[in-house]
Amino acid sequence: MLSPTLSGSFCPLPRLNNRRSALFFAQTKRTSLVTSALASEKVTASQDVMAQSPNLSFPILVNGVTGKMGKAVAEAAVSAGLELVPMSFSSVDKPARTLEISDIEINVHGPSEREEILSSVIDKYPDVVVVDYTVPNVVNENAELYCKFGVPFVMGTTGGDRPLLYKTVQDSNVYAVISPQMGKQVVAFLAAMEIMAEQFPGAFSGYKLEVMESHQATKLDTSGTAKAVIACFQKLGAIFDMNEIQMIRDPEEQINMVGVPEEYLSGHAYHVYNLTSPDETVSFEFQHNVCGRSIYAEGSIDAAIFLHKKVLSKAEKKIYDMIDVLREGNMR
Amino acid sequence: MISFSQQHSIVAFRNGQAYRRPEKPCMYRTRRRGTVVRAVATENLEKSSKIIASATASFPILVNGCTGKMGRSVAESIISSGLTLVPVSFSGKENPGGNITIGDVDVTIHGFKERETVLSSVINQFPDVMVVDYTVPDAVNTNAELYCKLGVPFVMGTTGGDRELLYKTVKSSSVYAVISPQMGKQVVAFLAAMDIMAKQFPGAFSGYHLEVMESHQASKLDTSGTAKSVVSSFQKLGVSYDMKRIRKIRDTMKQLQMVGVPEEYLGSHAFHFYCLISPDDSVSFKFQHNVCGRKIYAEGTVDAAIFLHKKVQRSFLIFYVIYLLI
Repeated sequence: MLSPTLSGSFCPLPRLNNRRSALFFAQTKRTSLVTSALASEKVTASQDVMAQSPNLSFPILVNGVTGKMGKAVAEAAVSAGLELVPMSFSSVDKPARTLEISDIEINVHGPSEREEILSSVIDKYPDVVVVDYTVPNVVNENAELYCKFGVPFVMGTTGGDRPLLYKTVQDSNVYAVISPQMGKQVVAFLAAMEIMAEQFPGAFSGYKLEVMESHQATKLDTSGTAKAVIACFQKLGAIFDMNEIQMIRDPEEQINMVGVPEEYLSGHAYHVYNLTSPDETVSFEFQHNVCGRSIYAEGSIDAAIFLHKKVLSKAEKKIYDMIDVLREGNMR
Repeated sequence: MISFSQQHSIVAFRNGQAYRRPEKPCMYRTRRRGTVVRAVATENLEKSSKIIASATASFPILVNGCTGKMGRSVAESIISSGLTLVPVSFSGKENPGGNITIGDVDVTIHGFKERETVLSSVINQFPDVMVVDYTVPDAVNTNAELYCKLGVPFVMGTTGGDRELLYKTVKSSSVYAVISPQMGKQVVAFLAAMDIMAKQFPGAFSGYHLEVMESHQASKLDTSGTAKSVVSSFQKLGVSYDMKRIRKIRDTMKQLQMVGVPEEYLGSHAFHFYCLISPDDSVSFKFQHNVCGRKIYAEGTVDAAIFLHKKVQRSFLIFYVIYLLI
C-alpha cells in the first residue's frame, strides 16, 4: 500500500479530495463540482472547434470501425467536423453489412474486398487519410496495402512487426504517423519527464519513489507508460526497483482506493508517482488518470489533421510520431 | 525582462537541442593586486582541466544574514556538508554585538557599517571564500555592490530588491554569482520541466481546465511566485487561466485539516497543487510539490555554492594554464 503522503492521505489523491471539500480537486467523475463549473466552458470550446472545422475538413477512413477504438475514432472524426468516409473493413468475410456511427451509415467490407474498395475510395476521395485500429496480426499487411496505394495513414494499432512496418513505409515514401501511445497529453507528460531527466540527471538523488497504477482487470502486464516514467525518475537519482510498482486490478480497490468511476472499471489507465526526500520534508506527486478511450480517439484525430497538413505542404519528412504532432502545436 | 533561464540559472532546451550558454571571455579580478586579467576558455583548456584532479569539496563560506532563519539553516547545512563556515556574519543593525553559535562554530556578528572592512579582511584570510546572502530585500542591491566591489563570488538567496539592477551590477563587474529566487533545486527542476514542455509542445493541453491551490505560512501575504511560474507554462500549453484564480490558503485550520500540513510546519511550508482536466472530464493530470521547513532551500543553496566554487576553480585553472603557456 502507498504510505501516507505529506498531505496525510492514503489514496493517491490528496486529502482535499474529500467530497465535502469545496475545492476543485474532486475525482474525475461526471457528477463532480468541476463538471458543473466546466459546463459553460465546454460549450464555448466545442463551438470553437466547429467554427474552425470547415477549413480543416478532409475525408477520413477508419479501418476497424467495428472495434471499440475504431468506433471512438470515427465518432471523434465526425465531432471534429471531418468527413467520415462511409466505408470500413473487418477481419471476416461476411455478407455486406452496415454500421451506424453518428448518423452516418458505414458499409463494412471483408478482407478480400480491401484492395478494390480502397482503390475506389481513393478515386472518390483523393485526399483521404486512413486511421488504422485493427489487430496486431494485420498491422503489416494493412501497412503494405496503404503503401501500395500511396494513401497516408495513422497507425494506431499496436503490435505486429514494428521494424518491418517502418521499413515498408520508408521504402514506399508514404506519409504516416506511427505511435503506440495516441494519448497526446500523456506523451507530452512523458516527454517532459524525459527532458527533465536528461537535463538534470541526479537532481532527485536519494529521493524515494512509490508508483501505483490501475488498469482494467484484463490488462495482465504492468503499464509500459509507468515503466517509461520510472526510468526517467531513476535517471533523476530516485531509488526504485521495477518490482515495486503497485498494480491495482481488484475492482473494489479501484473504486474505493483509487477512485475510478464505476462505469470506467473496464477501460481506464490511472498512474500515480510519489517522490519523497530522504528527510521526508519534501514530496512531489504526479498523476495522470485516463477514463475510457476519448483521449486516444482525440489524439488520433490530431494526428490525422497533422498528417493531412504535411501532405498538403509536401513535407520532406514522411514518417512521424506523436512528439512531432505535439511539436506542431494545437491542431484545432 | 529577465528570462526564465536567467532567473533560475539553468540550461535551456531550444529547438530540440540541449542549449548551453556559450562560454564568454571572462574578466577575473585578482583581489590581492587589484589587476585585471583576461582569461579566455577554449576547448583545449577545458580538456586540460580534467587532467588535474578537481579540488577537494571543502572551501570557506560566509553566510550574510546568519541571525535570520534561512541564514541559520544554511549555516547548519554548510557545517553538516563538511564545508568551512567562516565565523563571521553581518546584521542589519548598527551595533548588534555578540556572537551566535551554529553547530560548534562561534560566529561573530558585525554591524552593517563594518561590512566592507570586515569582508575585506575575511577575503585576505580566506582567498577562496564565497558569500551566501540571506538578508532582506532592501539590502539586496547594496550587498551585491559590495561583493562585486571586492570581487567575491556569491550566492544570492535573498528575494526582492531591484532585480534588473542586481543583474546589471554583477554583469558589469564580471563577478561569479548564482542568483535564484527559488533555491529548492528539485522544485526548480520541476518548473524547468514544465517550461520546457510548454516551449516544445505549445497548445498540447488546449481546452483543458486548470485549478491551482497553494498554501504557505500565514505571514506570506503575496501569492506564490512559483505557482505563477507553473501557471504561465500551462498557459503556453493552451490552458486558459486567470492568475487571480489561484487559491491562496492562509487559514491555519484549513491548512491542518484540508491541505494536510503537519502542525509543526504551519509557520514554514510551501504546498502547491495543480489539476488539469480535459474538456470532456475523462482525463486528468495532477501535480503537487509540497515543502515543509527550510531544509530544501538550505541544501539547494549549498549545492549552488559548490557549483559556483567549481566554476571559479576552473577559471583559476584556465588562468594558470595560460600563465604557463605564456
